[in-house]
Amino acid sequence: MSDSTKNLKRSSAEREGVQVHKRVKTDGDAKMDTKPNPYLAHYNDNEVVASPLDEFERHKTTALQAAKAESEDNNPWTGKPHSQQYFGILKTRRDLPVHKQRQEFLDMYHKTQILVFVGETGSGKTTQIPQYVLYDELPHETGKLIACTQPRRVAAMSVAQRVANELDVDLGEEVGYSIRFENRTGPKTLLKYMTDGQLLREAMHDHDMSRYGCIILDEAHERTLATDILMALLKQIAERRKDLKIIVMSATLDAQKFQTYFFNAPLLAVPGRTYPVEIFYTSEPERDYVEAAVRTVLQIHASEPEGDILLFLTGEEEIEDACRRIGLEVDEMIRESDAGPMAVYPLYGTLPPHQQQRIFDKAPAAVRKGGRPGRKCIVSTNIAETSLTIDGIVYVVDPGFSKQKIYNPRTRVESLLVSPISKASAQQRAGRAGRTRPGKCFRLYTENAFKKELIEQTYPEILRSNLANTVLELKKLGVQDLVHFDLMDPPAPETMMRALEELNYLACLDDDGELTTLGGLASEFPLDPALAVMLISSPEFYCSNEILSITSLLSVPQIWVRPNNARKRADEMKQMFAHPDGDHLTLLNAYHAYKAAEQAGDDVKKWCHEHFLSFRHLSSADNVRAQLKRIMETHDIELVSTPFQDKDYYTNIRRALLAGFFMQVAMRESSTSKVYKTVKDDQLVMIHPGTVVSTPYDWVVYNEFVLTTKQYVRTVTNIRAEWLLEIAPTYYDVDTFEKGEIKSALTRITEKIRRRQAMKGGR
Amino acid sequence: MGLAGAKNKRKLGNDPNNTKWSRNTDTFGQKILRAQGWQPGEYLGAKDAAHAEWHTEANTTHIRVTLKDDTLGLGAKRNNGDECTGLDAFQHLLGRLNGKSDEALEAEQKVRNDVKLSLYMQKKFGMMRFVKGGWLVGDQVKQTPDEEAEEVPDSAEASEAPEPAAVESKKRKADRRSDKEDGKLGKKEKKSKKRKAGSEADVGGEGGQKEKDKKSKRRKTESEDCEEPAVTPKTAESLDETSGASDAGNTKNDKKDKKDKKERRDKKEKKEKRRIEKAAAESGAETGDSISQEKKRKKKDATLESSSAPTPADRNSSTPTGSGYSTPVPTGSSRYLARSRFIAQKKMAFADSAALNQIFMIKS
Repeated sequence: MSDSTKNLKRSSAEREGVQVHKRVKTDGDAKMDTKPNPYLAHYNDNEVVASPLDEFERHKTTALQAAKAESEDNNPWTGKPHSQQYFGILKTRRDLPVHKQRQEFLDMYHKTQILVFVGETGSGKTTQIPQYVLYDELPHETGKLIACTQPRRVAAMSVAQRVANELDVDLGEEVGYSIRFENRTGPKTLLKYMTDGQLLREAMHDHDMSRYGCIILDEAHERTLATDILMALLKQIAERRKDLKIIVMSATLDAQKFQTYFFNAPLLAVPGRTYPVEIFYTSEPERDYVEAAVRTVLQIHASEPEGDILLFLTGEEEIEDACRRIGLEVDEMIRESDAGPMAVYPLYGTLPPHQQQRIFDKAPAAVRKGGRPGRKCIVSTNIAETSLTIDGIVYVVDPGFSKQKIYNPRTRVESLLVSPISKASAQQRAGRAGRTRPGKCFRLYTENAFKKELIEQTYPEILRSNLANTVLELKKLGVQDLVHFDLMDPPAPETMMRALEELNYLACLDDDGELTTLGGLASEFPLDPALAVMLISSPEFYCSNEILSITSLLSVPQIWVRPNNARKRADEMKQMFAHPDGDHLTLLNAYHAYKAAEQAGDDVKKWCHEHFLSFRHLSSADNVRAQLKRIMETHDIELVSTPFQDKDYYTNIRRALLAGFFMQVAMRESSTSKVYKTVKDDQLVMIHPGTVVSTPYDWVVYNEFVLTTKQYVRTVTNIRAEWLLEIAPTYYDVDTFEKGEIKSALTRITEKIRRRQAMKGGR
Repeated sequence: MGLAGAKNKRKLGNDPNNTKWSRNTDTFGQKILRAQGWQPGEYLGAKDAAHAEWHTEANTTHIRVTLKDDTLGLGAKRNNGDECTGLDAFQHLLGRLNGKSDEALEAEQKVRNDVKLSLYMQKKFGMMRFVKGGWLVGDQVKQTPDEEAEEVPDSAEASEAPEPAAVESKKRKADRRSDKEDGKLGKKEKKSKKRKAGSEADVGGEGGQKEKDKKSKRRKTESEDCEEPAVTPKTAESLDETSGASDAGNTKNDKKDKKDKKERRDKKEKKEKRRIEKAAAESGAETGDSISQEKKRKKKDATLESSSAPTPADRNSSTPTGSGYSTPVPTGSSRYLARSRFIAQKKMAFADSAALNQIFMIKS
């Protein structure tokens, strides 16, 4: 009874609200009753502060209008007065190169549905264009958000923060961001920065992206996998939804390809604020590019005027090594000849964030007054190529290599290999030197090599990756025709075939290529299909808790720390966690020990340090685990464990691994050999020396196939061949195997099983 | 693979590229693709796409890369022992056999001779170094021919090192007189420099790594010079001196540079001295080398000696417009003291029949 009255009351209040609202709208100056309705406080606010935005007409605004609104005393978006630093920021914003072309941008934006925008780094496009759109799109009226995608999570977060400051609003309110494991948006959010992957995930549930009125794809020149798919997707959606505006922003000048791809979309180019960069080549090829790079840095330090140095190398090890060598030599230089001080900072993806931040430190001051000025030297992978902007760089040293992901669908190996960069990327690198003043770029190769050995453009990620996950996503996005899906760079047919085949064996696609229930479920997880399937089927093996832990540990970088100066002790520590049956179980042991230490209230950081484990990666694995757990719970996947005392505790886990990784199994070639042969692909591999497995087992399941001087399989666990036949009978259908050791081994085992069953039956 | 090359043995399976799979037309993937209208040999993607003109081979098959597990620079080729080295004496003959004109051969020969001579000078006495002292205009010394300003510090500089300055300015005058020739001359000098790199190694004789590492070696000890050549043509004798002068306007920088240079030179001398001591110590007894870095450097020096130049054709293809990084810069005589031992070893190698076989390309 009371319930119903309450309901009634509320509905009447609502009705009232609507009426009040109407009144306000129609005759704004009509006298309101003295007591304002507390539920409608926001309407009253609007009433009190007349927003300059009220006069704006969607898609008809001008730069002048917007500039006026920006210069008001009150914030047009919140109605609150502007903070003190706002006008300072506004002034710097108006100095940005894009600002001059605001009107031009708006004119073009009004005329077209898809716009290609080219602005070099430093033009201010990432922060400004979304704001220009905001003042034109007026999402608070239409209710359709503006999305701006970034390839990297860090960029999405930091840019959102910056733009929130510029608009003088709180981050998470009018301006927010959304990245894979974090969402900082609210009901008031109008402008949303997000990773491209995140937008793609949203599109899986909202095929038309109907929440958005304008989608801005930033850094499209990077051609990440997700951006490529988004472009193809948006191209389709643009036909269906004529009201959706799309802006593709790129930093390089190969925009013609983007234009052609997007139905000859118009192009707007804004020059960056860059200074000329003088380029030097060597006259002969270098014999050792690391050595040459170190020397070049030292020489610059000795002979060039003030200015910071950026050196590009390929990987963590190389970078740390170069840093050490440069540091030593510079010390000697200072001792011997009073050179200026130099701070050397490494920079690579797996570096802890606080160490990454150090690259923004000021260069050290001269050791004494009047002494030579100091400088900093940043030794970086290609993350400093486009994504990070470090001011003060005047000298760039470019050996011409980077580590790139390559996928070979025939052998199913995805590996990071050192390979020559592209011309476009060499130019990007050189451009880094001209941000603050004219700079110099030293290329450690000849001009001839530049012309002849470098490809024009870096291959987009879609051509370099395993597409199993992508195909699954596409299926989930409702793309039926994979062959004619209009990608800017269609992948090699073999890569597509391999992906389809893998998904079929994993039972994510049925024999007609349609998504199965399992496939649909697997696509909910931000994981590789094999991992996702393993996780989903783990309750059948009574060990989903453990598999969940292992999955999280496999999706973060290596947790084992093995510093060069303490390798032996690190290995001894690892042996403490070792499980004789394999690395997966060892990982699990380490994780359990970590959790135990955490629960015991130890200083976990110290504990990790003592045990040569990476605290950062373990805690991020912990974070991933929590996220995955949430997804499992929403999809009612049971979280179960076999009791630890049970003798099958580890056996169950080993069997569960096979449910996802039955395609990554290798058999020992012969009982004396250390060489293994992968199943079906017949590749010869060795077990990576970092393993804890000491007894050579006949059959192993592996997590990855790495290519260095030899072909290695890493993170391996011992399994039994019978399980293969039992868990993945389709893949291990003996008839489909080529003649060879593996086939005969499998036949033997089938025979054995049959005999055993016959005996049982006979009994 | 040469005898000295690293042995990189790798066991390959029967089908390292897994062509068995790629030839198989019954796979699930192929079935699905065909069902959706794909034909072997076609691109995936929209039919008659407007952007298809940008498609490359990478859109038809996976990207092939070569496995790189060394630190060989871009464009550098590993010497597999099949490159002929130590053929300097036969360049004339070989050039003619390759159909070069006599004039070209003459010119090349001349360059080689020049290099030999200057190399001899270097080894014998080392290099004299001079400090930039400005331009003599009328009877006043000026920083640059066109700019009158900033004279005072210059003269101060000059008073610090009066003698070299005088020489310098004399030279400047000469330079100016032959203004037109200057460019040509500079180029030639540069070339001869490069030659020098080669023939210096040739003197060393056989073996056969790129002259590169020698250069990088150099580069380190002689750091300051190397940038400038790109800016100005340089003369063999006084690299740094000529260089800064031609960037008019940058007078302030120049000044700083100059100062830096001087200090650096001091430092270098110190280093050099140390090295001589080291060398002495080493030749005495190969024992107490304290700084491993230093030792490494020396060892590299040793390998340098055995390096040799690529063929002239190679050399011409490299770009003379580069930074001049690789252009070796003459060093003081001290390093040659340290090297003399190795040179002696080289000479011994000439007596060795196996080495000679390689030099004369006699395949056994």
